[in-house]
Amino acid sequence: MPSTQTPPINGLATDPTALRPPIADATIERVDAGTVLARLEALKAEGYTMLLDLGAVDYPERAPRFDVVYHLLKLPATAGTVAAVGTPQRFRLLCGVDGAKPNVPTATGLWKSADWAEREVFDLFGIVFDGHPDLRRIQMPHDWEGHPLRKDYPLRGPARERAPRPPFALKSNVQAGTPPTGRTLEALQEQVKRALRDAPGGAPQDDAP
Amino acid sequence: MSLSSTPLTPEIVSHEGNAMVLSMGPQHPSTHGVLQIMLEIEGETVLKAEPEIGYLHTGIEKSAENLFWSQAQTVVERMDYLAPSSNALCYVLAVERLLGMTDKIPVRANRIRVLQAELTRIASHCVWLGTGCIDLGAISIFFYCFDMRENILDLQEAAGGARMHPNYLRVGGVNGDLPEGYLAKLDALIAKFPGRMKELRDLLQANPIFQDRTIDVGYLSPEDALAWNVTGPALRGSGIAYDVRRAFPYCGYEEYEFDVPTRTEGDAYARFLVRLDEMEQSMRIIEQVRAKLDEPGPVMVDDTKVAAPPKETIALSMEALIHHFKIVSEGFRVPPGDVYQPVEGPRGELGFYVVSDGGNRPYRIRTRPPSLYNLQALKGMAPGAFIADLVVQIGSLDPVFGEVDR
Repeated sequence: MPSTQTPPINGLATDPTALRPPIADATIERVDAGTVLARLEALKAEGYTMLLDLGAVDYPERAPRFDVVYHLLKLPATAGTVAAVGTPQRFRLLCGVDGAKPNVPTATGLWKSADWAEREVFDLFGIVFDGHPDLRRIQMPHDWEGHPLRKDYPLRGPARERAPRPPFALKSNVQAGTPPTGRTLEALQEQVKRALRDAPGGAPQDDAP
Repeated sequence: MSLSSTPLTPEIVSHEGNAMVLSMGPQHPSTHGVLQIMLEIEGETVLKAEPEIGYLHTGIEKSAENLFWSQAQTVVERMDYLAPSSNALCYVLAVERLLGMTDKIPVRANRIRVLQAELTRIASHCVWLGTGCIDLGAISIFFYCFDMRENILDLQEAAGGARMHPNYLRVGGVNGDLPEGYLAKLDALIAKFPGRMKELRDLLQANPIFQDRTIDVGYLSPEDALAWNVTGPALRGSGIAYDVRRAFPYCGYEEYEFDVPTRTEGDAYARFLVRLDEMEQSMRIIEQVRAKLDEPGPVMVDDTKVAAPPKETIALSMEALIHHFKIVSEGFRVPPGDVYQPVEGPRGELGFYVVSDGGNRPYRIRTRPPSLYNLQALKGMAPGAFIADLVVQIGSLDPVFGEVDR
């Protein structure tokens, strides 16, 4: 939970990927949703055997809103020794995805491992992978609403209804006849009844945003 | 009846052939946490397996976006709860690269980090071996393994103050030097280790029952391993010698001598042998680190914008007090940019794709969880296997659900 004393210091960068410090960790390329599949196919043909990871980032202030990030690794299936592996090449493909129409073609036809990764991005960001054989939620419950890793999704989730509960004592304790020290059962029951009646809306309010 | 893409139902009666759908888990003891597998079976043979994950989803990536850079490390450590220092190492390396201070980290800090990462690898493999053998009915292995793990947790506690999540690594170094008496405990562990490993090997390696249960079970060809994005011991068990410590060295791994154990059989037994060999190679690295730890030196980067000044200077220097206050009250800022940092965790390539917008909190931390991808390979591995072998397959992939679900 964010600290209530100090407000967050937000950076000014709406697109940090444009301000990347010169770090030579991979070949980096930017494409859009229309050309990403052709580019991935070409890269696979070039020898990028592994789709190491597929994730997404939400930049609400930017157009296109989302980045789907593909991390590829060029690792031959015959590399049986450390010397044969050497330092494999890495490739990072950033695919801009429109916020209003978040659709990307699936990469499951090229790498089987894209299956769960794409489901997770769909679940947590709401980006739809066209052609995915089994696109459903993977981390959140299947009836969940919203996509939690979007920046406009509140940290504590949407306000939800909570079952009415007396503010001073648990009803079950009262019914079980276990009065706290120094109070009679009748007095406690009266107090609970009064609290339930007086509470605005009949129940304590959740302070969630 | 076949598995469909609609939400799972508890229906288990099949109408198609002799096949039926069975839900295994999420409370099944051999699923190493909360894994549910929807199985389509005919008799004892699995026709299709669809793992259902997410039961341990705690939104760590979302929480981390709302914490300071230094606070986020504590939640990141809780992803792979069997190897917290590996996660922390990956995270601090990523942040340090964004800060551009990778080369400024003191040598001693890097050595201590390597020590922590390797200790945590042995501890994690101890849990894998102990629980994996329980699945096969070999209960006593568990006690040998957890005894050794307990020694390592003692060391973690001595260094960081907590057994399970020491949070000892820091952006810029480690949190204070190793305490007095630590090296003596470490020496005791180094002395005990070879005998313990010999016991484990004697009990298992040539054991005909163990071999019957693991040889030719859960075969993964090198091509399939790459297609399923399997890394770590599972990939090396299939004959590909990819180890991030060798391919993309970090923290001075270049200066240590160790082998990358590789087997070509690609079955559960090969993965078992790779992990046992790996524990011994880790200990080899630890011995080399230990030899260099007598040499004193700083363990934190000399940069008061990121590293809080030592406590004793606060009472004497106004400057130090201000820096300390700033770091504690609003954290440090990280220049904007994005970076992907891999490390070799106990389960494979653990990576963090970290994005900073220039603020004092991470803009986004995307994890590349090795457990998630390794577990996904079960979909390719399970069809045709017996249910009893499925248990061995899960154990040989060594998933940790804190990391799969995050």
